[in-house]
Amino acid sequence: MTLRNDVSSDTAPAAPLDTSDDSSPSVTGGVPDPSAGVGDAPEPPDTTSDPVRGRMAWAAQTSIPGIVLRRVRDGVITLFLVIAVIFTLTDLVGDPALVYAPVDASAEEIARIERAFGLDRPFPERFVDYFTNIVQGDFGRSYWQNRPALDAVLEALPSTIMLTLAGIVGAALFGVGAGVLAGARPNSRFDKISNFFSVSALSVPNFWLGLLLIFVFAVRLGWFPTSGKFGWSSIVLPAVTIAIVHGGRIYLLVRSATVEEMSKPYVRVARSKGLSSNRVLRRHVLRNTGLTTATITGWEYVRMWGGAVFAIEYVFAWPGIGTLMINAADRQDFFVLQTAVIIAGAFVIVSNLVIDLMYRAIDRRIGAA
Amino acid sequence: MSISTRSRLRRIPAIVLAASLALAACGGDDDDAATAPTAAEPAPDTTTGGGDDGDASPATTGDGAAPETNAPATPTDDVLTIAVSTEPSSLDGQVVNDRNARVVTGNLFESLIRRDRDAQLVPGLATEWSNVDETTWQFTLREGVTYHDGSPFNAESAAYSVNRMVADDFETQRGSYIDGIVSAEATGDLTVVVTTDGPNAILPLQMAQVPMVPLGAGVEMNDAPVGTGPYMFSEWRRGQSISAVRYDGYWGDLPSIAEFRVRVIPDAQTALAALQVGEIDLVLDILPDQVDLVPQAVSVEATEFSYAAFNTYKEELSDPRVRVAMNLAIDKETLAETLYSGYARPNEAQQTSTNGLGFNHDLEPFPYDPERARELLAEAGYPDGFSIQINAPIGRYLYGEETAQYLAAQLRDVGIDAEVVLVEWNEFRDAGRIPGTEPGAFDIKYAWNSNEWFDAARVMSHITCDGGSSKICDPIVDENYEIGATSLDQEVRDQAYQAAWAQLHENPHAIYLLQQDLLYGLSEDLTWEPRLDDEYFVAEMQFG
Repeated sequence: MTLRNDVSSDTAPAAPLDTSDDSSPSVTGGVPDPSAGVGDAPEPPDTTSDPVRGRMAWAAQTSIPGIVLRRVRDGVITLFLVIAVIFTLTDLVGDPALVYAPVDASAEEIARIERAFGLDRPFPERFVDYFTNIVQGDFGRSYWQNRPALDAVLEALPSTIMLTLAGIVGAALFGVGAGVLAGARPNSRFDKISNFFSVSALSVPNFWLGLLLIFVFAVRLGWFPTSGKFGWSSIVLPAVTIAIVHGGRIYLLVRSATVEEMSKPYVRVARSKGLSSNRVLRRHVLRNTGLTTATITGWEYVRMWGGAVFAIEYVFAWPGIGTLMINAADRQDFFVLQTAVIIAGAFVIVSNLVIDLMYRAIDRRIGAA
Repeated sequence: MSISTRSRLRRIPAIVLAASLALAACGGDDDDAATAPTAAEPAPDTTTGGGDDGDASPATTGDGAAPETNAPATPTDDVLTIAVSTEPSSLDGQVVNDRNARVVTGNLFESLIRRDRDAQLVPGLATEWSNVDETTWQFTLREGVTYHDGSPFNAESAAYSVNRMVADDFETQRGSYIDGIVSAEATGDLTVVVTTDGPNAILPLQMAQVPMVPLGAGVEMNDAPVGTGPYMFSEWRRGQSISAVRYDGYWGDLPSIAEFRVRVIPDAQTALAALQVGEIDLVLDILPDQVDLVPQAVSVEATEFSYAAFNTYKEELSDPRVRVAMNLAIDKETLAETLYSGYARPNEAQQTSTNGLGFNHDLEPFPYDPERARELLAEAGYPDGFSIQINAPIGRYLYGEETAQYLAAQLRDVGIDAEVVLVEWNEFRDAGRIPGTEPGAFDIKYAWNSNEWFDAARVMSHITCDGGSSKICDPIVDENYEIGATSLDQEVRDQAYQAAWAQLHENPHAIYLLQQDLLYGLSEDLTWEPRLDDEYFVAEMQFG
């Protein structure tokens, strides 16, 4: 629910009649550039809805290098917090030496392992060390794999990127396409059917949906392999699972944004001027809901990295960061777990930055933050 | 039936840690047993499925009537795919010992001694061995053996292999197999002498787990292993699969299957689906209720024993009569037949396979006799019973939580107010290390022991006064285990261990529960009889 509110407040400034901003590349009534569509970015609300920051203020700060610098600074701070939190939490969870030691290990043996791992030193000292090492590119060694933790994570990262990108493209196609069509004709049969499906998609756990797809399309129909990452066909089922779950949410929000937009006065004006409803939809409504679409798509993409994709990876034996993290957590292989969280965090921060910049390039009304 | 939430509270930080972990936990809910952390420790006492002698391929009985199935087979072009739930941490046979790694390394490496299908020790890369004196063993090596890299296997490389593994700075999961070994030395081209720090009767079984590596082998063995086995390493695609091909220079009979791949499939349901469509040919652990869903199911009586250990230092549990009473209070037959669908059997009150050294055939499982149990409790001064907690780990053992609840219910029937406390695995392990009755020490803990040594010595740390996992101190047991540990006469050892277990029957260290089965899913045309020793030799498998 909160999400929905967020989004409608995002759309407000983007609505044509609200804006008197001369810099916007307006068509009829200040409609923002259309291709903002599937670009995504979860950032805009903080900037456009900030009443204090006037036109002059942002105009003075819109230089792209300035934005990048500030974003990088924010990113570094965020990353530091991620590192601090993850290090503290894993420290609270348990002692890897106890896991590594055989069940009947003696106290001396455990102490020896603790010394070998450097776990016998006080917490602050270890944290400072850990942080200093990270700055130098050393994320620690995996106890379990006996190699640098970063190697293990970087090896898994491309698979996760590939899967999330395939998933988000599918989710956007499904969510935006169906959302606009359903929102343009509320209460139509299409609307009702797609509402039913999207709510169903949102109501089942994603790993369960994955198992269901494996059962139907791999076991029963034999169209795709059950799991693994062998050739292009292996990515289909996990990507479709992601597309259904995340697309379901995109659908709901895009649909409600479209419904809202369709009820605005300018649509009635346009219609009364004789424009066909299809043309109104394509030329105006679609463009005005573009920011919503971009925002929610970007948000869904980041959500995947927040964990949603990891269970899918596990179910499909996809050799990504999620499977790696789950195994590392099982074995309390903390450096790998920490590195995976940090790298995933860094990836989210960087992709936010990239998305943000694209976003600004697309709609210049969005100033610098 | 109150289940403590203590452990859940302790887990909160882990859940907060990342949303992913919470999701992962959900993902594993419906197949806890099979996706439990299988590889977190050296001893292969991992979660296992059950099996039944009546299945497609008859299980070998403990007395070992199994035929040798690796009669010379015609080499074919067949490719076999095995699913494992977690990726091996390393492929260095001297480093790893968890089952998922051994599926690979067991086929690449060989040791001086190996086990036959009855789990008896027979010549491997050594043709004979004997102890020269109390601390010196001499091995005569097989001639004409080469490593996959072409280098010859000889006394020098054999001595290097042993010395590499016993070095102080060598991190290995096989620590128990090098205990007491000091060093090895080549005394001839094909003779090696191994020195121990005292009389070491289990040296032969230890040497069956010391894989031979080429002279000068180093850390590169972790991802490019070289051994003498019938298969040689070919490729490791991290996170996905490991493959190995037949080694044409192998000294023994060439195996039928040309290549095998080990695929990592963490989720048990997915592995089952992959087996059903023929993507894989062998799944290591399936659940009893999956038997009807796989093309072929085979099973074997594993060396896995479930038990509920007593903390005999606790006041109420100090009287042997109480502990015997608690053994009598449990209906093990029903437990095996219902919960495990018959894929397990009551254990003869000892944690060794019937063909293991030290197994006492005169002992019988405690019968189910709640009447007698109540009498014994009254005699011991507890006519109205007492309160006790049973610790059980979460998601570790097949139907472990259910078994613990079953125990509690049966103990309540004889008047003992037993409460089950479910504990996260690592916490459970920690608690086991708390000495005596200090805070946090368990009253009773439910666990499984594996005895892959086929030797009563394996259980030592659980039953001797100083044992790391022991909560009992019985002079008769200690005395006999001392004999077993120091005598080099296997007959003497056998007798000593039998005496110790007879004593542990009178003075039980645990409620002896079940011997579990291992249950495997096979593709339709794969022929394989599972081994007693939890090894997976592709050379013993073939299609058709």
